[in-house]
Amino acid sequence: MDATYRAEPPDQIIRENLGAIDALYHRRSGATHLVAAPVPQILDALAEGPADLDGLMARLAARFDLGEGGDAARQALGERLAELVALGLVRDDRPAD
Amino acid sequence: MSEGSRPDPQDAPGPDAVSGQSGGASRRQMLRLGAAAGAVVLTVRPGIAQAATSVLSCEIPVPDPARASQAVAPDGTMVPKGSTGAFPGGRTFTGEQVRTGLRGGNLPGTSYEESQAYLNYVRRLQHGRSGFTCYASLMMPR
Repeated sequence: MDATYRAEPPDQIIRENLGAIDALYHRRSGATHLVAAPVPQILDALAEGPADLDGLMARLAARFDLGEGGDAARQALGERLAELVALGLVRDDRPAD
Repeated sequence: MSEGSRPDPQDAPGPDAVSGQSGGASRRQMLRLGAAAGAVVLTVRPGIAQAATSVLSCEIPVPDPARASQAVAPDGTMVPKGSTGAFPGGRTFTGEQVRTGLRGGNLPGTSYEESQAYLNYVRRLQHGRSGFTCYASLMMPR
């Protein structure tokens, strides 16, 4: 039931760090996104390879202090991922039936 | 000069913020996944970047095709062909050429008076006439 999230291929995104924000030029859409935390961190974690929500949570938790309680953080991550999927920066592969 | 005692860069203690390095679990950065929801992404759509170039390459026909049978008077109004002092028109200028003209330059291939007549025509362009959108975008502050 859980979706597997997949980062865009690295050659599709040109990334420039501007301090507190990153500018991402997405070749496929031609759009430029200015993103702030936690988006660059999520994309970095996903760049290690496809992962489902729990797998990605584990990667982020190993690297950062996520502060909030587990369920709240997990739900928030799901919301951020949905936004990134809507932007085309992340793909979610639903398991085929 | 302390060339002999320069520490090996690999051994040098880095600046305080060695961020992004995994493994250093002692002082982990805080990452709020839920904070500022909806405000973490600002997207610049490609159309905005293209608008700047299209303003310079868009075209303004003088006069517009619907009035091609008429001539352009010095004040930019349309008059019958052959009217005294009127210019034949039948030219198409790019946004960049018109912008240069509005700043005091001449339109290419025209005399000063002819250029002024055509620029007056452009200034009188109204919504719905060919070239109006191009002229309007030239006038937009950027």
